[in-house]
Amino acid sequence: MADIKLTAATLSAVGDIDIAGNRIIIRDDLSLVSVATPLGGEDALKKTLTAAFGLNIPAATLSSTAKGMRAVSMAPDAMLLIFAHATPDAEMHVRAKLGGAGYTTDQTDSMLAIEVSGPATMAAMERICPLDLQHGSFGKNASGRTVMEHMAATIIALGDAHFLLLTASSSAKSFLHALEKSYRNVIS
Amino acid sequence: MIIEHPLLGPRDAAEFVYLGDAAMIDRPDGMTVDDTGMHDYMYLRDNPAGDIRELWYHEQGDRSWLVVTRNTITHEITKVELARDVARRSGRSR
Repeated sequence: MADIKLTAATLSAVGDIDIAGNRIIIRDDLSLVSVATPLGGEDALKKTLTAAFGLNIPAATLSSTAKGMRAVSMAPDAMLLIFAHATPDAEMHVRAKLGGAGYTTDQTDSMLAIEVSGPATMAAMERICPLDLQHGSFGKNASGRTVMEHMAATIIALGDAHFLLLTASSSAKSFLHALEKSYRNVIS
Repeated sequence: MIIEHPLLGPRDAAEFVYLGDAAMIDRPDGMTVDDTGMHDYMYLRDNPAGDIRELWYHEQGDRSWLVVTRNTITHEITKVELARDVARRSGRSR
């Protein structure tokens, strides 16, 4: 049997993409930690999250922010914390701060964060995203999980025509391709 | 088809996976039910020309299970509830 060596592929090497003034940035500086609420532990997690990070538990269609950290609602009783963290121990950091008030899982390697912005962003997103992202219905800090092309995605509004997208690392290359293609389609 | 998610608002049906009759929530106790009762639960389904309550899973969303009341003739959706709430109302703890 031939020796096979698996090498992790990363999209970091792609670098930032500029398409006629629209920016697609791979945010590999961000760490992702999911926090699930223990059964009956809503109040304890709410108090601990606020004490530890200054964060409120996000409403179902919103994200909350404090001190450089963002909490995004992912499911009933589950949220994702997004923050810049220099060392690969983000989950341990959150777990220690929460002290058992939430169940934590490191998602940094399983999901990729991509930041998009620019004048053609709304048009590019409209082509591949079923959610209404217009500012009136999806304003700053709004969030939603949906499907883009055929791939699962979480969309967070950072500002006007400015989004953070989360997608599975395993299909991130295809996702990035779909995103880039959509930009090029609406510009050409 | 648009499904009005109780927590998230209007969502395209393409985000969901359809399972079937919501009667599946009411699974009988396998230790006490007789063969006929378990057979009926497993295999017998109503097929109404009108309103039916169905289980839909929000796979490309918040992964919640919903009970959707849909008219099989018009496809009009008249009610959407979290399956968790429906189960709790029927006496389940979660």
